[in-house]
Amino acid sequence: MRRLWALASNTFREAVRDRVLYSILLFTVGIIAVSLVLQDITVGDQDKVVRSVAQGGIDAMVSIIAMFLGVSLVWKEVERKTIYTILSKPVPRWMFILGKYLGMVVTLAVEISILMLVYTVLIGSQQAMPGTVVYMSAVMLLLELMLLTAWATLFSTYSSPMTAGAFTLAVFIIGHLADDIWRFGQQAESAFLRQSSEVIYWVLPNFEVLSLRDQAVHDLPVPWNQVWGAVGYGLLYTAGVLCLAMLVFSRRDLR
Amino acid sequence: MTPAIRTTHLSKVYRQGFFMRRVEGLSDLSIDVPQGAAFGFIGPNGAGKTTAIKILMGLHGATCGDAWILGDAVTQPSARERVGFLPERPYFYSHLSARELLRFYGQLYEMDSQTLRARSELLLEKVGMARFADEKLGKYSKGMLQRVGLCQALLNDPDLLVLDEPMSGLDPVGRALVRDLILEQRLKGKTIFFSSHILSDVESICDQVAILVGGKLRGVGTVKSLIGNRVAAVELVVRSAQPPEGAELIRSDGSQHRVRVAPDAADATVAQVQEAGGKIIERVEIRADLETVLVDQMAAESQVDGEGSQ
Repeated sequence: MRRLWALASNTFREAVRDRVLYSILLFTVGIIAVSLVLQDITVGDQDKVVRSVAQGGIDAMVSIIAMFLGVSLVWKEVERKTIYTILSKPVPRWMFILGKYLGMVVTLAVEISILMLVYTVLIGSQQAMPGTVVYMSAVMLLLELMLLTAWATLFSTYSSPMTAGAFTLAVFIIGHLADDIWRFGQQAESAFLRQSSEVIYWVLPNFEVLSLRDQAVHDLPVPWNQVWGAVGYGLLYTAGVLCLAMLVFSRRDLR
Repeated sequence: MTPAIRTTHLSKVYRQGFFMRRVEGLSDLSIDVPQGAAFGFIGPNGAGKTTAIKILMGLHGATCGDAWILGDAVTQPSARERVGFLPERPYFYSHLSARELLRFYGQLYEMDSQTLRARSELLLEKVGMARFADEKLGKYSKGMLQRVGLCQALLNDPDLLVLDEPMSGLDPVGRALVRDLILEQRLKGKTIFFSSHILSDVESICDQVAILVGGKLRGVGTVKSLIGNRVAAVELVVRSAQPPEGAELIRSDGSQHRVRVAPDAADATVAQVQEAGGKIIERVEIRADLETVLVDQMAAESQVDGEGSQ
């Protein structure tokens, strides 16, 4: 466990010492602040617009951070050869992947927590204090990013950040359009298209299952049954992709 | 006694390029490194030294053959519990300081924090890095990184020290430091396995040497047994009007010449000088060193290649 902890905490430390991360974080705080200005120039339900923009900003920016961290997670270690002095110690390869991954998840959790704190202070000072569903939505966002970064980690074990980034972006987009792809496939006349859409739907993740965005913006009650199902789905799927990443990495020669 | 390192028929084939061309990095390497030995692994660049070391350290998988470290198969991470490794041109996290880096590595060895702290300070002091230990590694020079690399390799007080080109890129002071550290470990009865192309260092430190050329083992044994009674060249001091033809002229002083000839050409040169009415003043045989042995092996390898391609 100490080894796993050492790997995870080192990954976390590396991320928090990276200046790029602070720039994105600061930019996101900027978006939340700007969303408050919208209150004065929006017609209709101003509060919802503000919440929607602020939460959308957080979602988008943290997703960018997640992809940015995930796609270079393993590749950077191999490319910079820092991995040589780690795997030449009694560290199994699966533990290396898991440690790096957990360090990244902790980084994302801290980022989301900071942004939620900013959200609470800024939005809470202008509107009513955010309800439980907003924080549940943040937890679900972390779960979604855990799944996305598991894919990024898998791609990062064997390809460069550019390729891994392209693949991860594809998973991100398809994952958000999963329901549409399913509907489109079911309406298609071609059996090939129908089957392809089914394969994509079942193999790739469905991020919308993990989303509580609408509930958070409209301040609707938390659908707990749906939440527990989604948590199970997210964690199991993440574990599966991570296992695949470990398997791929265990066979790789480190040049 | 279990050997510190044992390999049997270890081979590695790489696939390179778009057409997955087959490149043999290592071929049928079988060696035993006894515990307590200082074992040198020599060969030209691309000989397969680093490939063999990477297989031993679990960074590469062998295409066929097996390898063990202190009795454990290298495929098991636990085989590296009692091993220290310094890669060629080591790279470390630039966001950490030397002290933080050693703490991180110590945790990977699951060392208790007290031992880890004491050991880190001792090693940093020993390699002369204690003053810079809180600066980020990103600011370090190549020589400083090599010193920190030595610290991390010695952190767990390993029974086996594997060093890949530990002298490369170091100034004379750095080289002397590495040599002293290796000799110190040797005196403690630890096994040292290191690759180098600085043969004078290998000759002065090692009691056993393996020669690797073109991925194949070309000789293994003590330095003495490899060199044997071989003569690298013969130097003649000749008194004659002209220096003998075909000999390498070292110095000429009017009618007296110092020349160097290949051992098998020495008798012919002597006869040539005497026939021309000259006189041999001195005849000295230059003993072979590891370099001669290695160069001979490389020449033999290129000859085999030449014949093979004809």
